[in-house]
Amino acid sequence: MNNSQLASIAPSSERRQFLKTTAVASTGLAIGLYLPSLQAKTQKKAAAAQGRAGVEFEPNAWVRIFPDNSIRLIVHKHDSGTGVHTALGSILAEELEVRLAQVEVVPPSHPFFQAYIHPSWKVFSTGGSTSVMLEYEPLRKAGAGARMLLVQAAANQWKVPVSSCLAQNAQVIHKPTGRKLSYGSLAESASRLPAPTEIPLKNPDQFELIGKPSRKLHVQSKVMGKHQYSIDVKLPDMLVAVIAHSPVINARVKSIDDKAALAVPGVRQVIKVPAAPKDLLGGNQEGVAVLADNYWAAKLGRDALKVQWQDEEAFASFNSNEVGAIQKAYLASDKAELVPTIQSGNAADALKNGSKVLQAEYFMPYKQQLPLEPECVVVHLVDGKMHFWAGLQVPSNALTAAQHVAGLTENDIVLHDLTGGGSFGAREARHWLIEGAYLAKAVGRPVKLMYSREDEMRQLYSHAASYSKLEGAVDADGKLTAIKMRAVCPASPEMWEPGYFDRKDKMDYSTTESITAWDYAYKAPNMDIGWVRHETGVPTGWYRSVSFIPNVFATESFMDELAHAAGKDELEFRKAAMVDRPRHVATLELAAKKAGWGKPLPANRALGIATNQGYTSYIAFVVEVEKQDQTIAVKRITCVADVGLAVQPTGVEEQLYGGIMWGLGHALHDKLDIENGKVVQSNFTDYTVMRMSDMPEVDITILQGDKNKPGGVGELSSPGIAPAIANAIFKLTGKRQRSTPLSMTA
Amino acid sequence: MELTINQKKHTLTVDGATPLLWVIRDQIGLTGTKFGCGAGMCGACTVHLDGQPIRSCLTPVSACTGKQITTIEGLSEKGDHPLQKAWVQVDVPQCGYCQSGQIMSAAALLKQTPKPTDEDITNAMSGNICRCGTYGRIRRAIHIAAGTDKAAAKAE
Repeated sequence: MNNSQLASIAPSSERRQFLKTTAVASTGLAIGLYLPSLQAKTQKKAAAAQGRAGVEFEPNAWVRIFPDNSIRLIVHKHDSGTGVHTALGSILAEELEVRLAQVEVVPPSHPFFQAYIHPSWKVFSTGGSTSVMLEYEPLRKAGAGARMLLVQAAANQWKVPVSSCLAQNAQVIHKPTGRKLSYGSLAESASRLPAPTEIPLKNPDQFELIGKPSRKLHVQSKVMGKHQYSIDVKLPDMLVAVIAHSPVINARVKSIDDKAALAVPGVRQVIKVPAAPKDLLGGNQEGVAVLADNYWAAKLGRDALKVQWQDEEAFASFNSNEVGAIQKAYLASDKAELVPTIQSGNAADALKNGSKVLQAEYFMPYKQQLPLEPECVVVHLVDGKMHFWAGLQVPSNALTAAQHVAGLTENDIVLHDLTGGGSFGAREARHWLIEGAYLAKAVGRPVKLMYSREDEMRQLYSHAASYSKLEGAVDADGKLTAIKMRAVCPASPEMWEPGYFDRKDKMDYSTTESITAWDYAYKAPNMDIGWVRHETGVPTGWYRSVSFIPNVFATESFMDELAHAAGKDELEFRKAAMVDRPRHVATLELAAKKAGWGKPLPANRALGIATNQGYTSYIAFVVEVEKQDQTIAVKRITCVADVGLAVQPTGVEEQLYGGIMWGLGHALHDKLDIENGKVVQSNFTDYTVMRMSDMPEVDITILQGDKNKPGGVGELSSPGIAPAIANAIFKLTGKRQRSTPLSMTA
Repeated sequence: MELTINQKKHTLTVDGATPLLWVIRDQIGLTGTKFGCGAGMCGACTVHLDGQPIRSCLTPVSACTGKQITTIEGLSEKGDHPLQKAWVQVDVPQCGYCQSGQIMSAAALLKQTPKPTDEDITNAMSGNICRCGTYGRIRRAIHIAAGTDKAAAKAE
């Protein structure tokens, strides 16, 4: 069959089904797609429907080239300010040989296509500082494979050897004659070529985008106020909803008096939203929704709403300030079950026989993500399809919501992913998606569910409070001989990786960050490190850097305490305990050098050090504090990070700076209180976050220790800040602080 | 009531107690001004009222009649206000959600203090929260727009 024989055209969804069943999952190259008849049939109709003459070139899940020369790069990761669209778009563009200005970077129209699945978590999600790290190779192959076919198509047309052709700026050039063909003009012929089996990648020495300083996409629209977020979506016939939740965690609705609420001008309906069943992890609490013509009317309606709540006994007496003591007592009890992460030698004996033996406990409180755009989703159930407009960090969560509320499958949902106004873990939750879906189904109109800042503050999937107990020993030469650590906190949300806890070793990779064999910085002959799961029952969620935060706070504070006990310089003590970690040592040494470690300082200043490995990257901090009267101020932060390859160096620096700000937040401010089951804080009035006036001088150096492998960056730079500050404060005042937020009073 | 927004007159029927933010966003349809807290604490809602920066989430629309309201959309026609150009040059926005408010606060600062010191910038800008952490770049962009940038102007 040839292309001119057009029979009845398979609709686009069938073609997608074909793609799904034949795609090679690891590369996304739809090798089975290369059946000329099927390809041409479906492409021509789809192209005509879009007003585009001719056949689209769609060699894999990420590249689309149209005969009118428009080029779309599909990036299947959500951007909430991380710059991932620019980074992943750059990787595709580099190998495809196009400039970013020549392309449109778009989210997938079929987000549940197998090629887009998270390679480690097996759900459709963005997070964990994994996007650039894990997608680097596959996207290079996708761009390069597409480029190869375009070059082949041009060579075929000119009847010249492929080696005489060059791809550049969305054109193929025949070098000897200077003839050019645009990618658009090659789309149809390229689409008929068989998939390449071997895809050589571009020589990194010739990179023009990857590793080069550049601006992110969408900067112009963001400075003009034109960039769209979920909160900006407006649909015809749309209602805006706000939900009244119980002040006490998990309470149920006892009675609703909605007379005054319904009397508020613009308020249309009041609807009870049932709590998700307990076995739906990450589910929403019970609430009462007020639906109105606009947000202000809905808000006034909720203010006028009278709801009586039936408190759940277990939570009405819950107090977050008691959690540390409860975790400590649990660890000492026979209920505590150890999930070991690093075991060697005989720590118990070594701790008895050390020249100096220390023990310390570290506490951190609940913390709230508080992205500046509160959670917001627009949902519309129409013609059997549920549409979601939101910062959709986890498409699988939208699917769960649609399944739970309306029994829909992935073929029945349409996702419109918008830039998130920050996430930091908040947009990885699903409770707000479930609520939005429920309301959309209930009213049969588009519903925009908006969270206020107060709703955001008490939405409960916050960062878990933690307790860490450490013991260590040094020998007579001041060398680390034993380290024992128990990290006590809840399990991370089992919202994905189904069957997470069915594994025999009960390992939770998200609560043991930086304390496993592959990322722990130190080696002692006797190590006994592990996690103890303790649940308070209060729902906790994802948060930027997750368990790196308590684990690095404890580890780096304690290493300092051991160094002082051993009479050793804190930098040298750490280096002596690092074995076969050349990149890490180089990072640490450079930070120390840049900060002037070891040079004399005035009496009212001190330096503190902290370092860790994370996401296959390395980072080290030296923090300078200064005593001014009775206050201690953070004056300067020196940061060195080895990120392997900085795909987008400007973006990397921005993420490191932002993470440093987050670390300062942990050290100075972050504490969410729950008293008698009620979240105490309500807004930025009583939950302090970092402002420009709080920022010290920040000096960031980026190293690239492995130019073939980008490491994770988004969550790399927050954990080490709090221990570095605590360590500096100890040097300044002789007082050791083991809980956050730190006291900055001298 | 009548409101003048970005030099255009609008006649509206609205309860005078409604915060200006929601009138701008929902009735006029200008969504560049953002909602972050509703308590005047984050600055995402910053607009100019007769050239002065105000938190529109706390300002009732009744207080805005007979005055010139300027939103981010009205700062420049083509997005080429010196601050907007500097913001782009320095690649300031991460998620971008706070940036309308940041730029409006910075614009008011530069009108008042064309050559600001670091301290002037800190004082003027610390009412605007950025959760992504763009403070360092904001500072640099303001200096570039004001012509007070000490470092050699290098495209990063």
